[in-house]
Amino acid sequence: MLVDMYSKKVFNMAYQFSGSYQEAEDLTQDIFLKLYHQLGKYDFEKNFTAWLLTLVKNYLIDMYRRTKLEKRQRDDFDKHLHSVSAMDNPESDLHEGENKRILWEGLNRLSSDIRMAIVLKEIQGKKYEEVAEILGLPVGTVKSRINRGRLQLATILHDKKEKIHGL
Amino acid sequence: MVCDKIQNLLSPYVDGELTPEAKAEVDAHLSSCRECAELLSLLKIATASLAAFPEVEPSPDLKARLYAIPDRKKKFRFSLDFLVKPALQPVFAAATVLLIIFSFYMFGPYKNDIDKSVNRQIHRGYSQIERLFSKAGSVTDSLGAYANDVLVSLKKINPLGKDED
Repeated sequence: MLVDMYSKKVFNMAYQFSGSYQEAEDLTQDIFLKLYHQLGKYDFEKNFTAWLLTLVKNYLIDMYRRTKLEKRQRDDFDKHLHSVSAMDNPESDLHEGENKRILWEGLNRLSSDIRMAIVLKEIQGKKYEEVAEILGLPVGTVKSRINRGRLQLATILHDKKEKIHGL
Repeated sequence: MVCDKIQNLLSPYVDGELTPEAKAEVDAHLSSCRECAELLSLLKIATASLAAFPEVEPSPDLKARLYAIPDRKKKFRFSLDFLVKPALQPVFAAATVLLIIFSFYMFGPYKNDIDKSVNRQIHRGYSQIERLFSKAGSVTDSLGAYANDVLVSLKKINPLGKDED
């Protein structure tokens, strides 16, 4: 039941954070092991999804610090993500695909805290309040991290595009 | 400096969270600063592109591995996980100290002296207890004699001052 309901959510969060499909599978398995171990500590008055995502966040940040996930190469964007996207307008999709590829690579250049905030807010589409609950931080701090992350990604986008079009 | 201040407001600008005054300030700056206007454009592209990242399906193999976890956990239900609880740390610390003391006793050069000293102390304690018991016996004997005297005295007391016959 937990696997049916949450495996895709946990896997995608791990994939978006780590950037590696294989790594994300291993991380998801470890997270579920931890989840079964920690279920007894769950307070039934709390939101289960937020509790689970906090557990996922803690595990991913912990692994990031221990194994330096940012040093690893992210999977090629087209390998798993681009094939899933719809291709309605080939010309605009070309630009969109290029932007997505740059941003996908650019996520590795964000610190773990900012990357996690960006994954939750921008990719998973959560509200600031939800992100704050998962990260266990005040909303103001989350907004500040998102702002820094967005500016960094915009700068990465600028630099990469300049490099590509300058060649 | 002005650009730094405006760039920090770009995120709330995109989210529509600025006050009308702050928004007017950002708009005025953007109309005259090409760099900040371009950064805003890229920031919007970044947020839109990230939001359009598709969800990825985990492999069937992963799901099979996840379904197998509860069974595996049951097998290890009586594991030694409780040993890593922080609450047990003082117990382990105390046990370690005791073990060190015990090893000094067992393998140190003064084991025989310690044994003799302990034996002497035990015998001394034992003889003290014996003495206490014998003292307690004499006290109970004398208490019995006192009790008999008290009973005899009580019988002789005539609180109302009446004649006995």
